[in-house]
Amino acid sequence: MSWSRVKRFRCFLQFRAAETPIPVKRHLVINAEPIDERSLQQGRDASTTAGAVLVFLGVVRDSEERGPIQGIDYEAFLRMAEHQFSMLFDEIERRWPIESIRLTHRVGYVRAGEPSLWLEILAPHRGEAFAAGQWLIDEMKRVVPIWKKPRVVQAPLP
Amino acid sequence: MDVRIAFYSYFKDLTGCAETTESLAPGATIADLITRLQERFPRLIPMERSTLVAVGVEYQPRDYVLVPGEEVSLFPPVQGG
Repeated sequence: MSWSRVKRFRCFLQFRAAETPIPVKRHLVINAEPIDERSLQQGRDASTTAGAVLVFLGVVRDSEERGPIQGIDYEAFLRMAEHQFSMLFDEIERRWPIESIRLTHRVGYVRAGEPSLWLEILAPHRGEAFAAGQWLIDEMKRVVPIWKKPRVVQAPLP
Repeated sequence: MDVRIAFYSYFKDLTGCAETTESLAPGATIADLITRLQERFPRLIPMERSTLVAVGVEYQPRDYVLVPGEEVSLFPPVQGG
């Protein structure tokens, strides 16, 4: 290969590198285990280019519109939920230069005061981390097949 | 043709079951399936507009033509988080 062809090939590779997004590191867990924030934090794998670490915790409140509750039973169509999350992660990869997404969602019974959702996004800057996190949670509530059933606090018998 | 149907969330309460099967004519759509299910489970009728339908793990519209052996899931709006 002549030197000029080598140069052209290098330029092509550089162009491809700029056009092809770096795959986002992904970690998705949907199970009934309590969310262990400390363990998740210890598992963080951030590069030196990640200037923003966004962590969001969704916590079960002790009341709903109809009154006080003890907790929430979460049910998932697991196979489809994993697939839908995977498609959302694909879309995030297309939209923002995110380095890593880790999401854990509990199913089964979650007591009021305990977390049901843990999300971490690593990105070069805070703007894309906040935008991707907000978008992901909004879309999750629209397309990922997970449902809630509150356990209502029983009124004491007279 | 036979299709398998799974219900999730409170649709299980409305139908009294988590799964069932239906025999439909070839070329039947999801809309045809919903009509048949409403005959069997009238408590699904008020939920018609908000019912979400998936075939396998993908959402599908009402005019989707079903294929024998497919697994269809019916459920109310999702609400994770």
